[in-house]
Amino acid sequence: MAPHHTAPLSQVPSDLADRTDPADPAALSAPRAPAGPSPAVERFVEVSVRLTGFDAFDLHATGLAALYRATALDQVGPEAFERFLAELAAVGGDPGRLEGETSRDIARALAHLWYLGVWPQLARSVHTALGREKANVPFTVSPEAYTEGLVWRTFHGHPAGAKAPGFGTWSEPPPGAPPVPRPAAPGRPVAGPGKEREEETAGDAV
Amino acid sequence: MSTSPRAGGQPTGGHRTGTPHLRRYDVIVVGAGLSGTLVAKRLGDQGWRVLVLEAGTRTLDTWPGHLDAMNTYYAASAKVPNSPYRANTAAPSPDVLDLVGLPGGGFRANGYLVQNGALPYGSDYLRANGGTVMHWLGLTPRMHPEDFAVRRTFGYGRDWPIGYADLEGHYRAAERELGVAGDAQEQSEAIGLPFPEGYVYPMHRIPRSYIDDVVAAKLDGVPVRESPDAAETTLRVVTTPHARNSVPDARYDGGRGYRPVGAAGLPNYGERCVGNASCVPICPVQAKYNPLKTQATWDSRVTLVTKAVVSRVLADGNGRALGVEYQAYDDPAAPVHTTHTAEADIVVLAAHAIENARLLLVSRLAGHSGQVGRNLMDHPVLLTWGLMRHPVGPFRGPASTSGVESFRTGPARRRRAPFRIEIANWGWSWPASSPGSDVARLLGITGDSGQPRGRGVFGEELRRALGEGIGRQFSLQFELEQEAESRNRVTVDPRHRDRLGNPRPVITYDLSDRLKRGLAAAKAVSDRIFGLLEAEDHTAYGPGPFSPGYFRFEGQDLSFNGAGHGAGTHVMGDSRDSSVVDHWQRCWDHPNLYAVGCGSMPSIGTSNPSLTMAALALRSSEQIHRELTGLHRPVTVRTGGGTGAGDLSPHVPGPAPSPAPARGPSPHSHPHQEVRP
Ligand SMILES: Cc1cc2nc3c(=O)[nH]c(=O)nc-3n(C[C@H](O)[C@H](O)[C@H](O)COP(=O)(O)OP(=O)(O)OC[C@H]3O[C@@H](n4cnc5c(N)ncnc54)[C@H](O)[C@@H]3O)c2cc1C
Ligand code: SF4
Repeated sequence: MAPHHTAPLSQVPSDLADRTDPADPAALSAPRAPAGPSPAVERFVEVSVRLTGFDAFDLHATGLAALYRATALDQVGPEAFERFLAELAAVGGDPGRLEGETSRDIARALAHLWYLGVWPQLARSVHTALGREKANVPFTVSPEAYTEGLVWRTFHGHPAGAKAPGFGTWSEPPPGAPPVPRPAAPGRPVAGPGKEREEETAGDAV
Repeated sequence: MSTSPRAGGQPTGGHRTGTPHLRRYDVIVVGAGLSGTLVAKRLGDQGWRVLVLEAGTRTLDTWPGHLDAMNTYYAASAKVPNSPYRANTAAPSPDVLDLVGLPGGGFRANGYLVQNGALPYGSDYLRANGGTVMHWLGLTPRMHPEDFAVRRTFGYGRDWPIGYADLEGHYRAAERELGVAGDAQEQSEAIGLPFPEGYVYPMHRIPRSYIDDVVAAKLDGVPVRESPDAAETTLRVVTTPHARNSVPDARYDGGRGYRPVGAAGLPNYGERCVGNASCVPICPVQAKYNPLKTQATWDSRVTLVTKAVVSRVLADGNGRALGVEYQAYDDPAAPVHTTHTAEADIVVLAAHAIENARLLLVSRLAGHSGQVGRNLMDHPVLLTWGLMRHPVGPFRGPASTSGVESFRTGPARRRRAPFRIEIANWGWSWPASSPGSDVARLLGITGDSGQPRGRGVFGEELRRALGEGIGRQFSLQFELEQEAESRNRVTVDPRHRDRLGNPRPVITYDLSDRLKRGLAAAKAVSDRIFGLLEAEDHTAYGPGPFSPGYFRFEGQDLSFNGAGHGAGTHVMGDSRDSSVVDHWQRCWDHPNLYAVGCGSMPSIGTSNPSLTMAALALRSSEQIHRELTGLHRPVTVRTGGGTGAGDLSPHVPGPAPSPAPARGPSPHSHPHQEVRP
């Protein structure tokens, strides 16, 4: 069942690409572009695939790629962002091989953003090196960013408080887990003193 | 004023909201949390004119207000219990983030509560319409009969002037009101709780989690010793009763069954728990009980006034309460207030254990015994955590569906505090803020941004490591009984005031040695359980910002958290010299002033306390009804029904000519169902 509170999700524009001023909140709620994602967002998603280990389809499906790109641009500035992209390209797109601490911290921040919906605190040295004028504090980019966090999917879960899987689903073994014997079926009324108690019967607890 | 329709589409029920419309009421209830809501419900249904003064806002009782709280929660960086609820400077609430552990041990308290004890009182509460239960977990175990007489039986703490048998019928009434899902037969067999023959809970038990089944497969029937010289205790995994919507039991109430109560403000929604796994701090579908559901059935004689902070109880020279003084404000962000008074025959404080004590102290009332504010209790919680050998599906379902109840009772209580073990369904979310901390750790992000960061792993390696680690997370929550100690207390100090000028609570809190021995025993039991589960134990206690409850005891590092179960501050007893309220929760010194809530409890056993508190509130409502009836004689006596469990006095409607309720049948048309499940 789709919980009602996720309704605003559908209103999040999936393409906020190539804005002139990513810090402008009005830009973040710009109307949906008619066509698919812009080349800049496509490129951002390609990089994000290498950062997160999720494929482009999954990342686009969150509806948040453009917002995340805009957030990163806003947080570190276009120059550092472009440098990050260039350095990443220079090491074959493998973020594990990034050597510059600034680019490496941007990689950490982006992966953190995708996994949790939270832009993290940057390393203090990087914050200083970038000459950032904003506070170096973590923040959740939007309510939907939390519910679209990738971390829940790494263990076949759902975000706490959203995308509820349904009554009793928590009783089932998760993927990769062995079945275990179920205890007795519940629901016998309380027996009076000295009364024979019914035998426990095996069955589903649901 | 009349019934106002809710923005969410459903009327609020029959009660009035807005400003008081009468000069004088039969009853004033201070606080619209669980206990106040229940008292207002009962007395309104019996025809009394009830004024409920609530310090907080009522944004939560419309569906748009609820959705706003959901979004606030999603966007919060720390998903602590108060995270969905907007801060209110007129009626501030404590927050668990107020406490910071210091590098060498010890703590600092930054928030609403002033703390000067050796150890921190680590619990919050919520001052908004509905109260703290808005963010409770919703576990509703009964107390064990032996919990009521710990001094007589085991030589510690304080005894109740009444016992389990006196409360049994009210437990059933509370289980109906809150809508409890459970397995009474299992509770009876495994814990030894007495129920009337044939009793079933309103709903079938909440299904056990897969984690519960995994644990049960290894633990059930295994004897363990908590120390080499201790007696053996047999482990058994037992499902926990919940105030959470499950499958109704058709046999309930003599075959009449039970209809689950859905969300307040959205019809036909939330009648079944769907496993959102966020009961604390907010249930998205409101399958978990909250007092707004009861408020939706309040009678038209109940008037709810929110944004009304009661600042003082007014009494005359003979000790009779006359009413209350309260401060009304408009804007919770920049409060400017006006002061008002309201009068009634009976005043009921239901503002939470700590706030009730604060109000009595500020009003200089009920002071004869010297016990107001003393005996503050909570359930200190020991967390242990580790990794299971295979995925167990954490972060699914309610936070805990089963526990191990074997350490709650018995002679070991003479030496150390007893405990309940909750099997956690939400991985390391409480002990380690998972899964956020797991992501940060693997990325090399340290808590202190000044520290050098690890290289971090990315891509498929990151994804795989997270999945393998988080999927196996397991933790246990040991809830220990804290005994009443007069040194643990709430006081007030005119130097510490909130924005409206009301003195803030000053808390002095510590754990006794018997409690620390209990924590050590709990840790030993945890070690045995992890061994049986062949789990990799990751439990570690040390000082630091996130461990304000860290301490050392007999050479061992330990750390505890608060459970949110504040109690004892207006303790009940059998003498006016040694207790604040009598067994009706009526102040000994003031016959028409009641203080209801966990504050009345002389001992709290190992059960989450609110079901017991609700039973007490329902019981007190009967006595208040009798007293009001006495005050307003002569009245027409209607026969044919008790006012509650075991009470055979005739039902007497209140004297107030009251308008017909705006919706549905009168509550009088279905009175007292709770006594015949
Ligand atoms: C995280 C958490 C989880 C919990 N889980 C459980 C659980 O699973 N099971 C369980 O049994 N218990 C649980 N509890 C405990 C439970 O929430 C409390 O026992 C219960 O809320 C107490 O009810 P109350 O009516 O006394 O106070 P509250 O619920 O706190 O309500 C008090 C009301 O009074 C109002 N008020 C305060 N001051 C004033 C004033 N001066 N004037 C007017 N109004 C005022 C407040 O705004 C509030 O609405 C939990 C608590 C926490 C914090
Ligand atoms: S598990 Fe989800 S649906 Fe069920 S009570 Fe908790 S939050 Fe509500």
